[in-house]
Amino acid sequence: MISRAFLTSLALIAATGSALAADPIRIGVPVGLSGANSVVAPSVVQSAELAVEEINAKGGVLGRPLALDVADDGSGAAGAQKAFDALVFQKKVNVLISMETSAARNAGLPIVARGKTPFIYTSFYEGKSCSPYLYVNAWVPEQQVPPIVDYFNKEKKAKSYFLIGSDYAFGRGMLAFTKSYIEKTGGKVVGEEYLPMDGSDWTPIISKLKASGADAIITSTAGGAPNVTLTKQLRAAGVSLPYGNLAVDEGTAKSMGTDAAGIYISASYVTGIDSTANKTFLAAMSKKFGADLKTPNDLSVPEYEAVYAYKAAVEKAGGTDPQKVLAALADVSVDGPRGSIRMDKQRHAPLTMYLGQVQADGSVKVIQSFPNVDPGAQCPPKS
Amino acid sequence: MLTIALDAVTTAALLFIISSGLLIVFGVMKIINFAHAAFVTVGAYAALVGTRLGLPWALVLPLAFATGAACGALTEATIVRRLYQRPLDAILATWGLGTVIGQLVTLIFGREVQFVQAPITGTIDLFGLDYSAYRIAMIAAAVIVAVAFTGLLSGTRLGLSTRAVIMNEMLAQGLGVDSSRVRLVTFALGSGLAALAGALITPLSSVDPNMGLPWLISAFMLVMVSGGSLPTLAVSCIVLGGLQVIVSTFVNPILGGLTIAICAAIVLRIRPEGFARA
Repeated sequence: MISRAFLTSLALIAATGSALAADPIRIGVPVGLSGANSVVAPSVVQSAELAVEEINAKGGVLGRPLALDVADDGSGAAGAQKAFDALVFQKKVNVLISMETSAARNAGLPIVARGKTPFIYTSFYEGKSCSPYLYVNAWVPEQQVPPIVDYFNKEKKAKSYFLIGSDYAFGRGMLAFTKSYIEKTGGKVVGEEYLPMDGSDWTPIISKLKASGADAIITSTAGGAPNVTLTKQLRAAGVSLPYGNLAVDEGTAKSMGTDAAGIYISASYVTGIDSTANKTFLAAMSKKFGADLKTPNDLSVPEYEAVYAYKAAVEKAGGTDPQKVLAALADVSVDGPRGSIRMDKQRHAPLTMYLGQVQADGSVKVIQSFPNVDPGAQCPPKS
Repeated sequence: MLTIALDAVTTAALLFIISSGLLIVFGVMKIINFAHAAFVTVGAYAALVGTRLGLPWALVLPLAFATGAACGALTEATIVRRLYQRPLDAILATWGLGTVIGQLVTLIFGREVQFVQAPITGTIDLFGLDYSAYRIAMIAAAVIVAVAFTGLLSGTRLGLSTRAVIMNEMLAQGLGVDSSRVRLVTFALGSGLAALAGALITPLSSVDPNMGLPWLISAFMLVMVSGGSLPTLAVSCIVLGGLQVIVSTFVNPILGGLTIAICAAIVLRIRPEGFARA
């Protein structure tokens, strides 16, 4: 499928004539086609394909077409080392643009540094990853958590919170930030409990939650199964407190049916964003992929925008020289489905965050938007 | 206190439902069926298909059981039958088979998490406590499985042959019991029970290709500790399941997840026969 899309883009290149006969600019996309990320990875690849096709159809970047090299990172460190090695040193890509697990990203960064290749990371993550080659256009805890907590504090008059998570870096990292934010805004955390990532029985935790008298719950589990089992068991136990879920995406919420109804989510992208740019993007995606379309989401849309950010940076830098492109990436801004985004805050980006609530029919209704939420000091200059 | 008691009993009931299929296979054949987790998964997907077709739960459960039993019979006839003299190879073969079934499920249904609507939702008021109605129903399900199972073993011709094979296979064969048929039926029954368990846990769990695996270790440990008989399995489930709930509640759920494995190892170290003949 990837090769078919690749051929299509080659055909397009041929069709647009001699202006594009130049060497292509190669974009490496290491992504978890197998393993934990395999459910979301196809949507990320589709986003990248659309961006490349659109840009090539309009004459490419500085007269050169874009070409995609997709590699499977296996969603983990070992696979990422191979994927990054192959992309950086064999395919000699000009840039890496991808959504990956934190383990895969961390394994790839030394290789990126050795190859002096710019890397735009398009996945939300736990924050504070500061390689000079790395730019991030997705959210960090400082951007995702406040909308939910602020809303619960103000609208739901929540004073005490119960936090539940999966026992791994992202789960604990998100809840550690959540806890400090709740305490900073005057709330109290009355319980914080974790289950191993493959755990499926939340009963004792739910019993503790019910006994704690908390006003609201915030959860940060691993995606997929743990999120589903927890939500189902909370509902089966009759828990109807305000429920903020830091790990559920729109697609999962949709397929969870009535159990997901009422859950609050916070994201930088939901399909329901009411803007021309988003509607144009969604229409182009369904036109290109038809029945094969994977619903665009908070992990795939940043990939689309990052390709445009790279294009803008290359044009500003006047070429693909890595150092010049890296400098330019902080200055260029992209108007995409998520709005206007510039990665000018210590290589991270202020983002408009959307607080959504899952409806009974599975759709996500935007309740409130929080424009230009600052990522905070992710990579303060060393003093 | 009441909450902990209810948590403990319902957890024990779930563990019992999941491990009974493993026990029947182990009891008769003296092999551990590591494809058990895969049959649990098959049952859950059978429930998924059944509910998607709009079948009532009264039909979904037999459908899951039949699917599991059919898979089990096929497995016994093609793979396990050749490995009775090689129990270690049987572990390897059934583990491998579990992986193959998991991949087949992935090929057919995809890797993503699926959802089955629960037949019973909400809570019921029990001694002034709101408790998940479905978990309470699981206690009844465990009792039904136990009664049906005991009735089958002690009240039918098949049960008689099975018990004869368990006690002394050579002698049973000499008396005209077709022991290979007994094995086939037992393996199918065990796999059917696994699938039934898979269907029963869907309302509490997600349905994904690896959903059975987290349950396998606990089930395996419980069967080892029980020493192979149904009443002792019930005792193991209540004691170890109860300990798991207590550790999860008073220490933390991460250690709680290890409780069954650790306690089982300690019990077997002190008393190799486990709870049997206690």
